[in-house]
Amino acid sequence: MSPAELNTANDTGGLLEHLFRHQSGRVVAHLARVLGPSRLDLAEESMQEAMLRALQVWPYQGVPDNAAGWLFRVAHNAAIDAIRRGRFLEQNTGALVAELTRATANGSGDDPDFERQLRDDELRMIFMSCHPAIARDSRVALSLKTVGGFSVREIARAFLADDAAIAQRLVRAKRQIRERELTLDMPHGADLEQRLDSALETIYFIFNEGYSAHEGEDLIRQDLCFEALRLGRLLAGSSIATPRVQALVAVMALQAARLPARIDEAGDLILLEDQDRARWDQGLIAMGFHYFDVSMRGDQVSEYHAQAAIAATHARAESLTTVDWPVILELYDQLLAISGASPIVALNRAVAVAKVHGPAEGLAAIAELSGNPQLRDYYLLLAVRGHLLLELERREEAAACLRAALECRCCEPERRFLRRKLAQCAAAPSSRGSVPGLAGRAPH
Amino acid sequence: MPQYMLALYDDPSRWPKLSPEEMQKSIEKYMAWGKRPYVVQGKRLAGDNGRVLKGANGKPRATDGPYSETKEVLGGIYLIEAKDYDEAVERTLDHPHLDHGTIELRQLYS
Repeated sequence: MSPAELNTANDTGGLLEHLFRHQSGRVVAHLARVLGPSRLDLAEESMQEAMLRALQVWPYQGVPDNAAGWLFRVAHNAAIDAIRRGRFLEQNTGALVAELTRATANGSGDDPDFERQLRDDELRMIFMSCHPAIARDSRVALSLKTVGGFSVREIARAFLADDAAIAQRLVRAKRQIRERELTLDMPHGADLEQRLDSALETIYFIFNEGYSAHEGEDLIRQDLCFEALRLGRLLAGSSIATPRVQALVAVMALQAARLPARIDEAGDLILLEDQDRARWDQGLIAMGFHYFDVSMRGDQVSEYHAQAAIAATHARAESLTTVDWPVILELYDQLLAISGASPIVALNRAVAVAKVHGPAEGLAAIAELSGNPQLRDYYLLLAVRGHLLLELERREEAAACLRAALECRCCEPERRFLRRKLAQCAAAPSSRGSVPGLAGRAPH
Repeated sequence: MPQYMLALYDDPSRWPKLSPEEMQKSIEKYMAWGKRPYVVQGKRLAGDNGRVLKGANGKPRATDGPYSETKEVLGGIYLIEAKDYDEAVERTLDHPHLDHGTIELRQLYS
């Protein structure tokens, strides 16, 4: 059998996709709850030991029947060994060992109560990782490392940062956990609301990082999107879920559905309007609509609701010509009213204005934004402006705009897009292309 | 059909650098190779140094296994079938272990 044939055989040895990553998050969360958050390192080391054991043994002897349970058990045994070796001098060693031993007996079976307990542990870990006492960058890194099972190098690659910077953020986060004596207790009342907001913000940040276009479209960035979706669904499936949690999951699912259609074979960006809708992931769209429906129960309207409604309007349109732009414009107005004047949202709104009222109105909407310091040197603002000018046949101004956009910080696929657009300025009139800005970059 | 033993040597110090995802991918590659029809079986060695037994003046003695001076240690073995060394080499050349480690190939006497 040739290597090619082997690859197409798609034999994964019966392991679930991302089993190690997800099980790592689960086991670390569970161990951290039992051992206490100040011993997060021991929890991580114990899981690491279990995975290393699997790495050594499974290739030769095969994957055990219950691979997840095996990892759980071996990690617990590693923790018990470490405690017995006297890694820390406390009186409660016996109680810890007893609890870990009890968990080991449960963790391999399919006891639904214990399943619930494990999900609850993950939830607590997300909430602690997103504690406002921890800086946002550190929150993101900590969530991905502990609950997400990402390595330092993977986080660094996804955020285009270097390993040392990410490692530093994790060290800082763990120090804050110790110094502020953060616990894995679930917050209550107003604290819960605040923490939930922080968790949602962190999750949406992870999603957007993964979603924004970057050089090479590294797969790890898509993994970020799906991890954010997984974390969101974990929250949405818990007893503390509120309609805005469901709405956030809906936004992420509906936007993630477009990922397969967003890049062509040459690695060029395909704008939302030019995407082959047949390549949108129908499963994710169905998931998105499901969560969107659930999010409408209750009278809460959050910015995630407005975002979800916009994404749903796009997903509902069967083709570009049936996109309901007036509705989208109305939703952007609502979004601006809820989330305050986020300039990126305002820019996206301007695109909708152009669609509904024509390019001249769109330009007027953009003019209000051009003084905003947050959008200075933002290539997309100039790109949208250039596009609208081109639609108005103001070719020289359009070309000047697009050239200015090329001077801004943007990635290579975006640059190629701008050059194509620039070429249109010189070409024959009336090649009505699409409006950038809705390139699938989620407004912040 | 003659059988060949593959002895896989590896440098364990590189393992902890792998992420959970990379570990899983690595395991999956080995598993896929191990499912080929000519692979008879695989066995992982335990992580100790073993024992060395020697007869000295008619009094056999066991000592702890030799400490390996090299970074690479014997990790496990596979048995495969092949008609000759050429075929055995060809069947082993794309083993994922060769991305980082060494394989020693020996024919079993039949």
